[in-house]
Amino acid sequence: MANTTPTDTKLDGSALRPLRDYKLVAMALSSLPTIVTFIAVAVLWQLVAYSNPYVIPTLDAIGNSLMSSPQMYWANLLVTAQEIAIGASMGIFAGFILAVIMCEFPLIERAVMPLMVVIMVTPVVAIAPALVVAFGFGMLPKYIVTGLVVFFPMLVNSLAGLKEADPRALDVLRTLHASRWEIFRDLRFPVSMPFFFAGLRIALPLSVVGAAVAEFVAAGQQAGLGSLLTIAAAQANLPVIWASIALLCLLGIVLIAALAIIRKRVLWWSDENAVGR
Amino acid sequence: MLMQDVSSQPASSLPKDDDVGVMVRNVSKGFGPEGAKITVLDDVSFDIKKGEFVSVIGPSGCGKSTLLKLVAGLSKADAGQVEINGSPVKAAAEAKSIGLVPQSPALLPWRTVLDNVRLPLLINKGANKGRDLRDPEALLRSFGLGNAMHKFPGQLSGGMQQRVAIARAFVFDPAVMLMDEPFSALDEMNRDQQRMGLLEFWQSNRKSVMFVTHSVPEAIMLSDRIILMAAHPGRIAEIIPVDLPRPRQEAAYATDAFRDLEGYVRNSLKKVMREAHG
Repeated sequence: MANTTPTDTKLDGSALRPLRDYKLVAMALSSLPTIVTFIAVAVLWQLVAYSNPYVIPTLDAIGNSLMSSPQMYWANLLVTAQEIAIGASMGIFAGFILAVIMCEFPLIERAVMPLMVVIMVTPVVAIAPALVVAFGFGMLPKYIVTGLVVFFPMLVNSLAGLKEADPRALDVLRTLHASRWEIFRDLRFPVSMPFFFAGLRIALPLSVVGAAVAEFVAAGQQAGLGSLLTIAAAQANLPVIWASIALLCLLGIVLIAALAIIRKRVLWWSDENAVGR
Repeated sequence: MLMQDVSSQPASSLPKDDDVGVMVRNVSKGFGPEGAKITVLDDVSFDIKKGEFVSVIGPSGCGKSTLLKLVAGLSKADAGQVEINGSPVKAAAEAKSIGLVPQSPALLPWRTVLDNVRLPLLINKGANKGRDLRDPEALLRSFGLGNAMHKFPGQLSGGMQQRVAIARAFVFDPAVMLMDEPFSALDEMNRDQQRMGLLEFWQSNRKSVMFVTHSVPEAIMLSDRIILMAAHPGRIAEIIPVDLPRPRQEAAYATDAFRDLEGYVRNSLKKVMREAHG
């Protein structure tokens, strides 16, 4: 309800609606600007597409392509989704665990962090072919590339979060002679969660990029939206290219939406606290 | 008549006996690299008896917070000894003998008030054996927080949060209570209220308390003795006994004895500060 516009107040006086209806109307009104923007972009797209059919396909051509072979798209979507699910999970897990180790042992942080930065600045697009050479055209290099893309933002954010514990709360726990594990369980871990989720917000869209890039490099051997895209590009099949792009985009949206829902459930205390601060 | 009682005790004459809760002997502490070391505490000695309420007051830079950290076992002295109930601080911390109330409540926002107060009972459980743990719910009720028990800290006022922090320190029945300006973030009216609440609770649950404060009336109202510290380097300038009868009520602020003592403490504080600047 954060975005209720001033126009809502006009409805306030009308007699017929109880509060719940009012809220629904307010919600519809608040999303109106978004809807208008999307419609405007769609209209513009169609205008350009009809006059330049070799630049972009019309939206109905993309739709037709999707409808004419849903199984083919679905199968490729599943492959990419699997790469993201497994690869991103590996990257998230590795990033968080390494952050915990670095937080508990500063010596390891000092020793390993520069190496991590080197890994981060190395373009994944460049690493991907090397991994294909090393691990073949199977799924493994795709998991690794997706994981690598996700790994660094998760590491950095988790580490920042683990170190964010209030020094006074730490003092209280230390006077109780809390063990390292107790300090982690009762303070560092929960405190790190808002940072962890902020990391996911960056990492999950990146994981889609990672999976697509990995497929580009090893195209033709395995299914996946990225592979489909490369093949379609070679054939200059515009509707298939854009249908694949749309599905990749959809994957990203689903990930972000799911994340927002989970975050709200897990981190209700964080938002509440932020208001009070 | 009060003034005659006021005297500072030389360190050597302090007794070492069984009813000493906190013993600090010839403690020194400095920060910084060797050669350019800044002395923060210089040869500090004092005792807090069991069940005694002692305030530490002094200008900023006198090392009162550093002193509290040493007694809490959160930092180590360069020289000297700190003992709690006759054992070294480290052992005292292992036995959960120290209750700490920090400057800010430092409650965990994802736990309810009740779960925040329960936390010390769940941590370092080995030290729970054979002690008189309090029932967190009953304790919160006696703190006037019965209705706030299932709320989250973010839903409470600053004064109430600080009271929860105090309850959290009392719940595991520590031998010694250390408070680091616990009311300094509250507004004046709230401060008064929380101060009297603490006094009332302590009067029926006598612990050794070391209470760091900036406020002269607060120190007088609460304490049996006031340790006045001087800065650069931090040291004890004077230990002032507070001979006001207990239990004390708010009315005590208005008595002549209170005012005389307040005048005396302010004067001593002024002297200490003049010395530091001149």
